[in-house]
Amino acid sequence: MHLPEYYEFCSRVKMIAGHGALEKIPGALADLHAKRPLIVTDRGVSGAGLVNIVTDAIKDGVSIGAIADDVPQDSDLRVVNRLAAVYRENGCDSLIAVGGGSVMDTAKGINIVVSENADDLMKFSGAGALKRQLKPLVAIPTTSGTGSEVTLVAVIKDHEKHMKMTFVSYFLLPDVAILDSRMTLTLPPFITASTAMDAMSHAVEAYTCLAKNPLSDTSAIAAISLISKNLLKVMKNPSDKDGRLALANAATLAGMAFSNSMVGMIHNLGHSVGSVCGVPHGTCMSILLPYGLEYNMHKNGDLTAELLLPLAGPEVCALTPKHLRAERVIDHIRQMNQDLHEISGGAHARFFREVVDRQGKQMVPKEKLSDIAGKALGDGALFYNPEDLDYDDMLMVMVAAWEGVPLDRSLIKRG
Amino acid sequence: MFLPDNYEFYCPVKTNSGNRALEHIPIDLDSLSSRKPLVITSKDVAGKGVVRKIINAFKESGVTVGIFDAVPDVPDIKFIEEISNIYRNKEHDSIMALGGGPIVDVAKIMNIAVSYNIQGLKELAGDDLIINPLGPFVLVPTLSGTGYETSRFAKIEDLTFSSHFLMPDLVVIDPRMIKAEDSQTVVATAMAALTHSAEAYTCPAKNPLTDTYAYAAIQYIAENLVNVIEEPKDKEGRLALANAAAMAGCALSNTTVDIVHTLGEVVGDMFDLPDGICMGILLPYGLEYSSNKNGYHTADLLLPLAGFDEYAKTSENLRARVAINMITEMQHDLYDSTKSETPRTLEEAEVPRYMLQDIAEKAVSHGSPKFDFDGYLTILEHAWEGKPITRN
Repeated sequence: MHLPEYYEFCSRVKMIAGHGALEKIPGALADLHAKRPLIVTDRGVSGAGLVNIVTDAIKDGVSIGAIADDVPQDSDLRVVNRLAAVYRENGCDSLIAVGGGSVMDTAKGINIVVSENADDLMKFSGAGALKRQLKPLVAIPTTSGTGSEVTLVAVIKDHEKHMKMTFVSYFLLPDVAILDSRMTLTLPPFITASTAMDAMSHAVEAYTCLAKNPLSDTSAIAAISLISKNLLKVMKNPSDKDGRLALANAATLAGMAFSNSMVGMIHNLGHSVGSVCGVPHGTCMSILLPYGLEYNMHKNGDLTAELLLPLAGPEVCALTPKHLRAERVIDHIRQMNQDLHEISGGAHARFFREVVDRQGKQMVPKEKLSDIAGKALGDGALFYNPEDLDYDDMLMVMVAAWEGVPLDRSLIKRG
Repeated sequence: MFLPDNYEFYCPVKTNSGNRALEHIPIDLDSLSSRKPLVITSKDVAGKGVVRKIINAFKESGVTVGIFDAVPDVPDIKFIEEISNIYRNKEHDSIMALGGGPIVDVAKIMNIAVSYNIQGLKELAGDDLIINPLGPFVLVPTLSGTGYETSRFAKIEDLTFSSHFLMPDLVVIDPRMIKAEDSQTVVATAMAALTHSAEAYTCPAKNPLTDTYAYAAIQYIAENLVNVIEEPKDKEGRLALANAAAMAGCALSNTTVDIVHTLGEVVGDMFDLPDGICMGILLPYGLEYSSNKNGYHTADLLLPLAGFDEYAKTSENLRARVAINMITEMQHDLYDSTKSETPRTLEEAEVPRYMLQDIAEKAVSHGSPKFDFDGYLTILEHAWEGKPITRN
């Protein structure tokens, strides 16, 4: 097992997982000396009946201070300040965030405001500006993908000043993450697929990129193994509770892995496609994943090869000669995308040219590929990618991922 | 991969490992709101320029370090009171344990005393009676450990404490601090760490997060222990073993203590042998015994022990046996490379055969209700002779 010259690993979120995990929230809050939480969520989550499940599970053990279920998709500083006022007016002493990335970020922002009595959040932005424990925060993810229940980052937009504030601190780690199968049981198949492949990309990049360490390695392997054993099963049978719980665990493990090891070009290009064309993050990740592995293969093919066991199981691994395993891993991931495409009735896109919005309009027109390649150059994730990429390299990868053809590996410049 | 229907996991420990890890401590202390740590250690550890390295690492950070270098080999409660008073009088705001063994026990227990600001520690001894976070606690190991150091456990006199709040906030593994030590100590500590992580990895109470820590610990020990004994200058191997120990404690703290740990402690205690040496002898037989019981995951052990390739090549019904054989082989290699100093059987450890019943009885009174007298005795008899329980 690889031992880096230097590494840090920290994952101090308390995990409570299971089919009855929600019922343990009152006890977890009591351990943190809290009993009056503000529930932060969005309309989609409450509309799907998930907030009712949470409140039913906890109402006998805590007194809910208030429920704020109107966090918008595009949350910002104004929302944070408004909900901080709700927290104070209702005498809350803790936060429960139920939802995806935007809800988690908003809850983390509210927590800074109410814990630090901050009138200007800006003072606390950047890395290490927070110096002390915040109020107790319980995170309940409702998708199995981002891993934000175990990450130490929050991004809050300020729409009035047209800027984005990023907060990085171990104090932003939630105190408790609740993984309960009931929270993802009704997730539509297409979102189940893209979010799980998002988690897969976190784990794969954590394992194959430059800042890997022993604990990010073992959590990544566990995540990959859980996703490959359960994703297709859940797609075929969405009410498979055990499969849902396995995917939720996988997303958290992948979150632990990548937040302690950083990621590479797949995220790099994915962020760029997201910001230029508005394609959902998980979709970008699932399409780009095989391309990133292909591009880096001459540098880290030995690491990619090691993923064949968690991905395809011992039989396939034993039958594949070592020098062919990396390619087999890439084929396997492409095949997963193909299977997901078929099971979802075409909703899971295999390449960028078939990504469409709700109106059926193509989201990534070919003429945007150069913008995407250009924008990807400024991204920090590039630093941890095994092989360098310049503009032409980015464009080459994007063109192949747009058309849906494998990379011509003979064209990759070897640095 | 095994996923239980329900589990909880908590590990507050941040790990900083590798070159110049010491120099990163001030940044982490800052985020723990600490500016005035008290370093506690023993003369034995401090005597070798080790403290100077810590002071140098803090030189330009604005952190004021206090040093207490007289932790005795067998500290008592009175000593905890003394050192807690020093901490209070000099207004320290965090504890940094430099070393292992009793130094770590002292650090954990004085942290209870100074954080709760109480004299009577007795009322907090037991399981989960400490319900509030303690002050910042940093561990800097200087030896390869057993896992106990980063765990939720601490002992003094006849008091045992168990709480997640006793685990360090930060463990700093710096190759400059990991001293060369005699091979018996390395074997004893590493086999204890292997026992803790292998039992965590195979027991019914495991979950994906205990697996994460246990997997890495087992693999580091399997890959490095024999090398480190044969090649004491293998610095990377020592660093890997120190990492493994820290991880083993995180896994151990989130599962239940199992059969080999319990028996190893009893044998060690009765015959004045290092616990880790006894655990090493007992490990293959304990694993074999529990592999026949419901809910154990012994076959999974082959993956961290042997790696992807071997695991994939070995058919499912043979994995447990091959894994156990690997541990037996490791014992034989250690016997050879320590020039027969590492016993492979209880007979070689000079445990009289007629005492095995007494050991089993004692284990029953200490151990978990999951195991009975016959189980303990079966393991002990086979470990005495060095013969597998089932021969195939």
